Amino acid sequence: MSSEKSPGKFQKNTSGKRLSGIIANDYLTLHRRASEGAFVVWIAIIVPAELFNGFENVVYAVPESHAALCAGKGAGRILCEKAEGSGYSTDLCSYARIDIGTAFDGGKDSPTFGLPRPNLLVSNNNNCSLLVKWFDVYHRAWNVPHLVLDIPFCYEDQKESDFRYIMEQFGTLIRTIEEMSGQKFDIEKARESVKLSSEALKEWKRFLSFAAHRPSGITAFDSFVQMAPILTSRGSRQLLDHYRMLADETEEQVKSGIFPVPDEKYRLLWDNIAPWHQLRKMSGRLADLGANITSASYTYCIGALEGRYDPYMFDGGDPLAWLARLQNFSVCPHGLNLRGKAMKEVIAKNAIDGVIFASNRSCKVYSLMQMDQMRHIREELGIPCIMIDVDHADVRKYSEETAFTRLEALLEMIESRRAQ
Amino acid sequence: MKGFPACLEDLKAQGRTLVGCFPLYPPLELLHSFGLTPVVLWGMREDITSLALSDRHLQPYACGVARCLSELVISRGHELLDALFMYNACDTLRNLPEILQAALIRDGRELPLFRMHIPAVPLERPYAASYLKDRIRLLVRELEAFTGRPFSQERFLKSVSLYSRRRRLCGELEKAAAEGRFSFADCAGIILAGSRMPVEDHIPALESSIQSAGGRDVGGERPGVMLSGILPPPMILLETLEHSGLRVAANDIAALKRSYAYQPAETDDPETYYEDFYRNHYPCTTILPSADRRVDTIRRIVRERDVKGFIFIGEKFCEYEYFEIPEMEKMLRNEGVQVLQLEMSMDDILNLDAYRTRIEAFSEMLCQGRQCKEA
Repeated sequence: MSSEKSPGKFQKNTSGKRLSGIIANDYLTLHRRASEGAFVVWIAIIVPAELFNGFENVVYAVPESHAALCAGKGAGRILCEKAEGSGYSTDLCSYARIDIGTAFDGGKDSPTFGLPRPNLLVSNNNNCSLLVKWFDVYHRAWNVPHLVLDIPFCYEDQKESDFRYIMEQFGTLIRTIEEMSGQKFDIEKARESVKLSSEALKEWKRFLSFAAHRPSGITAFDSFVQMAPILTSRGSRQLLDHYRMLADETEEQVKSGIFPVPDEKYRLLWDNIAPWHQLRKMSGRLADLGANITSASYTYCIGALEGRYDPYMFDGGDPLAWLARLQNFSVCPHGLNLRGKAMKEVIAKNAIDGVIFASNRSCKVYSLMQMDQMRHIREELGIPCIMIDVDHADVRKYSEETAFTRLEALLEMIESRRAQ
Repeated sequence: MKGFPACLEDLKAQGRTLVGCFPLYPPLELLHSFGLTPVVLWGMREDITSLALSDRHLQPYACGVARCLSELVISRGHELLDALFMYNACDTLRNLPEILQAALIRDGRELPLFRMHIPAVPLERPYAASYLKDRIRLLVRELEAFTGRPFSQERFLKSVSLYSRRRRLCGELEKAAAEGRFSFADCAGIILAGSRMPVEDHIPALESSIQSAGGRDVGGERPGVMLSGILPPPMILLETLEHSGLRVAANDIAALKRSYAYQPAETDDPETYYEDFYRNHYPCTTILPSADRRVDTIRRIVRERDVKGFIFIGEKFCEYEYFEIPEMEKMLRNEGVQVLQLEMSMDDILNLDAYRTRIEAFSEMLCQGRQCKEA
């Protein structure tokens, strides 16, 4: 999180420093436990990681998260180039290229030394089907089993038949791990893990709620960075404690009058995956213009059902049912109307002045609705919107000056609207 | 050959009820059994000359299939089509229904839309097969409501028989081309025309072509190549390929071979039929559970047909295809097969000379001094 003295700039406070420790520790622990014989599962981000905590000695790694970390640390380009050198097209998702470049070069140039070799790959297709194709690359190269969770896309709320179908697949996942690892699944352990996740997501939403304050208590960039442990520590006490402290600390800062962009004139919303290679530059440069991207669809959707903002809380019942119902806690599996519904709620809740639609070549599922979404938001709410071109992890496909020409135009549009 | 929109105009003039199906493998037989005329909305690259309306809704990094489809539906869907059908064939297509509906509604021209989720996990799992059957039952009910007529097992079986016959004939025509008895460019054109033509009309067209192929081998000695991709390249490139002395010995093109290679057992039960159809479908990059069979299938075909060269016709931005190319290329090189990778985007249709040069160079490499000129 940022400090009052350095608007928009990343200066680590207690939460930031703790986050670095958590992430470093998570990757070290992952490597250590894998080397000690833990059963290793590679998963796509929406795969219900809490299930793995129902086993005695199963660890999981998230290639998407690893790729984002690489991009954030400046290793995205070199790792993409390795994959391209192996024949993978530059049009493929840059997360996939980074991860393939890492995996097939033994983890070199990765800040985490890559990920430990998996015993099982588990992907799903509601965030994007390309995850399936991406994991298939390892499946065939290393002869590692690959289990796909087929989660029907949501044009409306999840249907009962889809819910039942997902539950059946969770059963297959559990049986597969039991058979492969020789370990027995303990639903009580999974229940405890789900309870911790649910509480952590509630704290996450509390943290995000400070975006409603004027000036905002957070930037979307804070949320981009702070979402990392949702992917590496899901279902853990550590995650809950961290998010509770993060929310508490943010609340304290707001009460103390410490804001990331103290001279906040423009409150913006970001639609797409974070531009990992630009977090510092973009936040700092926007802050200099008095602009704060306070909210992002990429992070406000976490923990909520389709088209909603508030967290979906665990009721203490069947943990698998909670996980199945929450299998769409990302924007990508949502249709145009559901996305629009959540976006309008956030625009109202956080008093958004303008929306940045980041058209992301590496994520077509996120991007290929944006032109219509932009039109709807503009026409229905009268909010100024722009579209900029980005790639979430491949810096070669981003032009800072072109993006800022449009961002500055957005601020002018907001001013013009205010003057009317 | 008439362009896609003109074909639909003709069908509408005949009083047909047209269902515009998103690619790739919709349940054509079921739609047909209700008296509907399904058309598959692909292969329009040479017919759709402007993407002005599509470009208002889709970024240019959507594939050409999605952009052409969108252009047709938004511009003329209301007058040429009576309904739309889509399933979760790919991420881009799954994003389209609401975009297209919004565009149509904006102009006061909403079209009925049928949607279906086809399991992306192996149908050997009982719950996956059961889920698919539920979806088929639901679709049947929706079609009953749309057409006002009840489902008929008898009509379904007749439709299945027609489509079976069509698939067999497509295979026969492809074989004639593979043996050098028929031009592959013509073969591709005739088969692809089936996407915009009633099956009852397509069958005699295929039969006539097969008869004209005759039995004389006029080019079987030319080096055989295999084509792979979502759609065949523009006709002019296929002609270049054949004129340069190559013979298309096999193909792995979604709109061609992948669509007709597998024929389920004929039955009057649509649930059983489509479980078989999707479970045992010829491997396709978009049918996720089939991916593991794909390399072996292509290796087998390459050996059986004595393929010397393999040409990927990359549909620009189709990530499903591109993820599999490196592995496929490795296998092919191990088999001693030369590989040429082409990439077609919407803009390339106006600038094909570079492709022609590459194909001619590839042909020269494969021929290596042999007499390879067109027979």
